[in-house]
Amino acid sequence: MAKITIDNKQFECRDGISVLQAALDAGKNIPHYCYHPGLSVVASCRLCLMEMQMPHPKTQEMGWAPKLFPSCQTPVKEGMIVRFDSDAVRDNQKSCMEYFLIDHPLDCPVCDQAGECHLQDYSYEFGSSESRMVEQKHVTPKKDIGPKTLLYSDRCVMCTRCVRFTQEVSGTHELCVTNRGSRNEIDVFPGLPLDNPMQGNVVDLCPVGCLLDKDFLFKQRVWFLKSADSICPGCSTGCAIRVDQNEETVYRLKPRYNPDVNDWWMCDEGRFGSKYIHDPKRIASPHLRRGLERESANWEDLPEVVRYRFEQHVSLRGGDKVAVVLSPMMACEEAWLLIKFIRGVAPEATIATGFIPTDGEVQHFPAGCDAASAKFTIRPEKCPNRRGVEMIAEQAGGTTCDFDTFVTSAAGGAFSAAWIVGGYPSDWVSKEFGKAAAKFDLLVVQDMFENALTKLASVLLPACAWVERDGSFVNHAGKIQPFERAIRAPDGANRDGQYLFEIAGFEGVYSAERVRATMAMETAAFGEVLEAPLKPAHQH
Amino acid sequence: MPNYEPVLLRNVGVENARSIDVYRSRGGYRSAEKALKQMSPDDVIDEVKKANLRGRGGAGFPAGVKWTFLPKDRKRTLLCVNADESEPPTFCNRVLMEEDPHQLIEGTIIAGYTTRAQIAYIYLRVEFHEQFHILQKAVDEAYAAGLLGKNILGSDYSLEIYLHRGAGAYVCGEETGLIESIEGKRGWPRIKPPFPAIEGLFRQPTVVNNVETLANLPHIIERGADWFLSIGPPGSSGPKLFCISGPVNRPGCYEGPMTITCEELIMSDEYGQGMRGSVPVKAVFPGGTSMGVLKGDELGMKMDFDDPRNYGLLGLGTAAAVVVNAETDIRLVLRNLARFYALESCGQCTQCREGTSWMYRIAQRIENGAGRVEDLDLLEEVAGRMGMMPGLSICGLPDGATFPVRGVVQKFRAELEERIRNQDPGKVEAVLAVLN
Repeated sequence: MAKITIDNKQFECRDGISVLQAALDAGKNIPHYCYHPGLSVVASCRLCLMEMQMPHPKTQEMGWAPKLFPSCQTPVKEGMIVRFDSDAVRDNQKSCMEYFLIDHPLDCPVCDQAGECHLQDYSYEFGSSESRMVEQKHVTPKKDIGPKTLLYSDRCVMCTRCVRFTQEVSGTHELCVTNRGSRNEIDVFPGLPLDNPMQGNVVDLCPVGCLLDKDFLFKQRVWFLKSADSICPGCSTGCAIRVDQNEETVYRLKPRYNPDVNDWWMCDEGRFGSKYIHDPKRIASPHLRRGLERESANWEDLPEVVRYRFEQHVSLRGGDKVAVVLSPMMACEEAWLLIKFIRGVAPEATIATGFIPTDGEVQHFPAGCDAASAKFTIRPEKCPNRRGVEMIAEQAGGTTCDFDTFVTSAAGGAFSAAWIVGGYPSDWVSKEFGKAAAKFDLLVVQDMFENALTKLASVLLPACAWVERDGSFVNHAGKIQPFERAIRAPDGANRDGQYLFEIAGFEGVYSAERVRATMAMETAAFGEVLEAPLKPAHQH
Repeated sequence: MPNYEPVLLRNVGVENARSIDVYRSRGGYRSAEKALKQMSPDDVIDEVKKANLRGRGGAGFPAGVKWTFLPKDRKRTLLCVNADESEPPTFCNRVLMEEDPHQLIEGTIIAGYTTRAQIAYIYLRVEFHEQFHILQKAVDEAYAAGLLGKNILGSDYSLEIYLHRGAGAYVCGEETGLIESIEGKRGWPRIKPPFPAIEGLFRQPTVVNNVETLANLPHIIERGADWFLSIGPPGSSGPKLFCISGPVNRPGCYEGPMTITCEELIMSDEYGQGMRGSVPVKAVFPGGTSMGVLKGDELGMKMDFDDPRNYGLLGLGTAAAVVVNAETDIRLVLRNLARFYALESCGQCTQCREGTSWMYRIAQRIENGAGRVEDLDLLEEVAGRMGMMPGLSICGLPDGATFPVRGVVQKFRAELEERIRNQDPGKVEAVLAVLN
């Protein structure tokens, strides 16, 4: 820990960081564009300049050096004295802000970034309301640089964060700077679009409205968006994300800083892969089968009906004929509640881990690096909580098995009643499994979309998307991460946690946190979850 | 300077001076042999330090001291020869390479031996097409004669020289821009530290020296530091090339001691031989444009490393004077200067990227007869808000834009104001209306 003085106040800061980072950590709002803690330092935007005390070359007396220093490039040193609240620093910030707007089109009313734009914020705080530039503006073109991204180069401030991202993090090198001086533009190479599995991050990195997400373009003004802290369910990495919604519609997902998992990044698969949330074909209400007919049920009666049917079945056929399949799409709390219920009615029931969707190979970034030097990893296991449901099943004890074993035993007629949880965004029921499932006399299916299984269900329960639920996921490394509910379940549906809570015999409103507290009494691990830092190391 | 004996240009005018045989017949490569066989690298450094050879590239930093910044325990050293001579009105290096390429190669061998470099890159600006071929031919000859390659002249020192051609950027004359360019990257100067001596080309300790600096080395080795110190004033010793261009009777590249004044350079029979048509001098940019401007009555400035500061100039620069005569409209000069820096700013640092282009646009408007007096204040302000000296940029390019633009505005403010006052007011209104 080094002690440094910023603006006459002493701060303790981590060793090896820059003065800018120390000042940001101390809560100071120091304007900066090119600096990003996840990228190399180029010190080119020249906004974060500071004054520093140095020994006079002749007298060795400490005093303010007659020039400014880039705080992003200056490492902290014990006893260092710097200041940002001087006229020279403010003058520079003011003139910089004037420069950034020289060729800027000032089209905030039609710009997606408006409201979360650091050109707006810094102009307001550090710039001036008028420009003295009377000359014609140089207009640079709007460019379509890839399948998912647009580049409005007229809004660019040349921080080159996006270029450095493709060089240093994704390792795909699509972006470059072309031309020279004030004619500089960010561009892609001819015929090579910005198209890599992590490209969406360049939009997050862009401090202004230059890089735009086609998916989000003109959909919402950002000040209407409300955010919830969530975890990406796309793969077992478990990136910390933010779900931005307005009026129960999710408009975008953004990564949240979490140094233990994803740093500042997330992949495109996670970012754009959850459109199924708003698919009208989703199952939105519970159904009961009476004879051949399937009719909708009401939520109030459901817990009693389900419990009654299981109790009947166990008394007729025995508890060892009952199985429950926990989906890796479930939250830990939901899995725990379901086991609580099943073990209540049939202590001998088999607990199986659900189908694990996989796709492709593990992808490390920068592209082509190995696991040890990877800055980001996309995993082939396309579900968020395999480790979690395994942990819960293991801790519940009794008979447990994996999905393949379950399918084989079910095909052999080992079970007559089952509760099967799906919740996958795509059809996951294989032919063999469909055939095996036909042998169940009592089948409770909890799923999001109709499939071979839901047609057989005696009780069909809608599964909610993770943004409609709260709970926790355990990622590939065993880190338990809680996520908040962002939107309400679709009309008619109830979130999984709530109905499982009631079915398990609890009363009142489900709260993942309270359930977790109860779980922690059985498994200490759930007493402590990994929360991404509340205050990110970097605001933009 | 009637009895000045040319040193750097001594082979100019000699028939076939570019060939190795002629160069050798006139004493060439004897210094390299002496350095390699009779002196240790430290001896050479001591001699060069004693001679106080200051870098001829513009900043005037002592070359011997620069070499000592290399880490003692380094495994490799790379030597870069800066032949990206892009400063407006400067053509000293060009003359050296065209007329006497072996002198540069000999200097490179000595510098390479001194810094223990195994590889030297000569970075030529792309416009040096002819010079590239001349130099390449000379390098080939030197290889054939065993002066380059393995075990030069039977010693255990080996040196490879590669010629590297730039892609036409002024900023690649800045040493870290040059290094990036050799690495095949965009010529954007690097942030310092680390300085090239610690971590330069390909992350190895690197020395970057100017062509003229290296051309001095064989003579220092041959004749000794005391001879070198006897030429020119204290602090600015040794022979120096001066360029003179503009409306003078005899523009060209001349050699002399740094005791001469700017006036001598223009008027003396040895050099410029006076103004064409005897039109008085209005302004001189004595060190390449980037160092700033002298008014017609400031020509007493000595062309050495220290005196220019007394006239509000950045330094001696490349000692290439361009003269503006009294018939020239200063607005044209201003616009032309501003245009150069706007086109050549690399675009990394905000103040330089936007400031230079803004200054150019203002200067253009003033030239077109739609200036306002407040534009002059604005120009001064913008020019003052860029550069490495106030800490606002990574490299020195914007300092080079500040000094001439601010210099012209300050020193010729009366004329500029006069011209603005005599503009057609209707036109000013019309132009500003269109722009706004």
